[in-house]
Amino acid sequence: MAPAIETEGLTKSYGRARGIIEVDLVVEGGQIFGFLGPNGAGKSTTIRLLLDLIRPTSGKARVFGLDVHRDRLAIDRRTSYVPGELALYSELTGRQLLDYLGNLQGHVDAAFRDGLVDRLELDPTKRIKSLSRGNKQKVGLVAAFMIRPELIILDEPTAGLDPFVQLEFEHLCEEARNEGRTVFISSHQLPEVEHLCDRVGIIREGRLLAVEAIADLKDRALRRLEIDFGEPVSADVFAGLPGVRDLVVNDGTLRCTVMGSLDALIKAAARFEVRNLHTVETSLEEIFMAYYGSGEGIEAGVAGEAGHVAA
Amino acid sequence: MLLRNVFTKTVRDLRWPTFWVSLGCGAMTAYFAILFPTYSKLIDLNSLLEKMGPAAKLLGASMGDASTLVGFLHIELFSMILPAAIAAFAAGVASGFTAGEESRGTIDILLSYPISRRRIVLEKWLALSLACVVAAVVLWVFAIIGAAISASVLPGDRLAAALVMLVLLGLAFGAIALAISAATGNRGASIGLTVALLVVMYLVDALSAIVDGLGVIRPLSLFRYYMGDDPLRAGLNFADAAVLAAVAAVFLVIAVVAFERRDLAA
Repeated sequence: MAPAIETEGLTKSYGRARGIIEVDLVVEGGQIFGFLGPNGAGKSTTIRLLLDLIRPTSGKARVFGLDVHRDRLAIDRRTSYVPGELALYSELTGRQLLDYLGNLQGHVDAAFRDGLVDRLELDPTKRIKSLSRGNKQKVGLVAAFMIRPELIILDEPTAGLDPFVQLEFEHLCEEARNEGRTVFISSHQLPEVEHLCDRVGIIREGRLLAVEAIADLKDRALRRLEIDFGEPVSADVFAGLPGVRDLVVNDGTLRCTVMGSLDALIKAAARFEVRNLHTVETSLEEIFMAYYGSGEGIEAGVAGEAGHVAA
Repeated sequence: MLLRNVFTKTVRDLRWPTFWVSLGCGAMTAYFAILFPTYSKLIDLNSLLEKMGPAAKLLGASMGDASTLVGFLHIELFSMILPAAIAAFAAGVASGFTAGEESRGTIDILLSYPISRRRIVLEKWLALSLACVVAAVVLWVFAIIGAAISASVLPGDRLAAALVMLVLLGLAFGAIALAISAATGNRGASIGLTVALLVVMYLVDALSAIVDGLGVIRPLSLFRYYMGDDPLRAGLNFADAAVLAAVAAVFLVIAVVAFERRDLAA
């Protein structure tokens, strides 16, 4: 089966720094994919290229193996989209808007749609213009999920959602994934989507830096460890253990960073009297930064602040 | 019911503008038709226009005979006010069709549903055409009723012919505005340029009656085709109507092609 999304050398130049450069991205179906990067990195540009709202300078993009320009309507029937700057027909009520978009789609399961409206506690009788940003987002989410698309593209969907809607949103994404659909979420905040995504791609300054499974990243999780021993220990015992880095042994205190499993280190430490053990698991954000960030990014990441990928 | 597709949604969007344009133009025409006998008793418009000389032609009184209701309506309404009103309506509405969706940002959502850019332009255009026809029909009814009240002569078929030309003129300027806004995404520029073109074309046509040199470029003015053959008296001139229709069609095609090719505003 063709991947849900596939780009080859996708490039969009705007003359200056904006745009994207030679993006080769493959998103297989049936997963929740996080598309991460700082603001202005090219996330929205990539999404707008996938939707054929703008045309590439060079390169190709396919959705379900179909050309995003030539086979536009066939893709639109199977895809939905919630833009970051969600703009809706403000003079309509939520119900009217959903009716209109449903009619444009062709067929919408009304019972399923009404179920979504109830789940998100949306009042569909209110005019869009009278809704708060969070409530507008709800309308956008219902519109995107009601057609049960095979691919849902969400540009910064979590901005402005209250915790309740955020939770429902995550359930919707997971349900869609469990039914074999694909969810593509862009975000500039890894912590907001890391527990949701199966895989993440990171884009920076228009270039796709990496695509990783969240599970693989977690295997490479970095932990900072500090062990207080009841007796002085020798650094030699711990040096060279798999995954152990930045080892410092000072009398009875050991400090190090461990990548991946703690097993070897703990077994080695067990030979001595262990008085105390502190461990700090670094966030995925820090891992990402450690692997793919720029120099300043690593520092900001290791400093431990759950900041932006762009730190 | 009116949210079935882009055409019906646009009809819905245009319902109040269409209502007011229809009512405004209709009431104005009825007013002139009802008061015409009183006017013509009070003032001898023809001699007044004669005294004004060439200046009268600038006001559009190039071929009117103000002693009949037909001539009176031609001078007072059909030469300047009605075409300006319908062209401004059509251009104002059409300039917002794609550029309005773009500036509001709704185009992103709209295009993510299975509807092509071409279809969006054409369905909206169809709604504008309907709105112009509705305005013309309302105007016809008001004018005929007004003429009946004042017991003046106003042949319905000739009035209809003039209204066909009026609608075609409006659609021609509407298509020009649509083409500019679809190609640029800039509604303000579209309205500005179209109104400027409207004024220049009006002046070229009106002034060509008194300035010899302008006769050469008069065929470039859409007003030459609109009332050039006086449809209120002579009936429909199919060649003139075809020119206006062709201009509208050409600019509609330009609008579709330009909109299909463009990167849309984020």
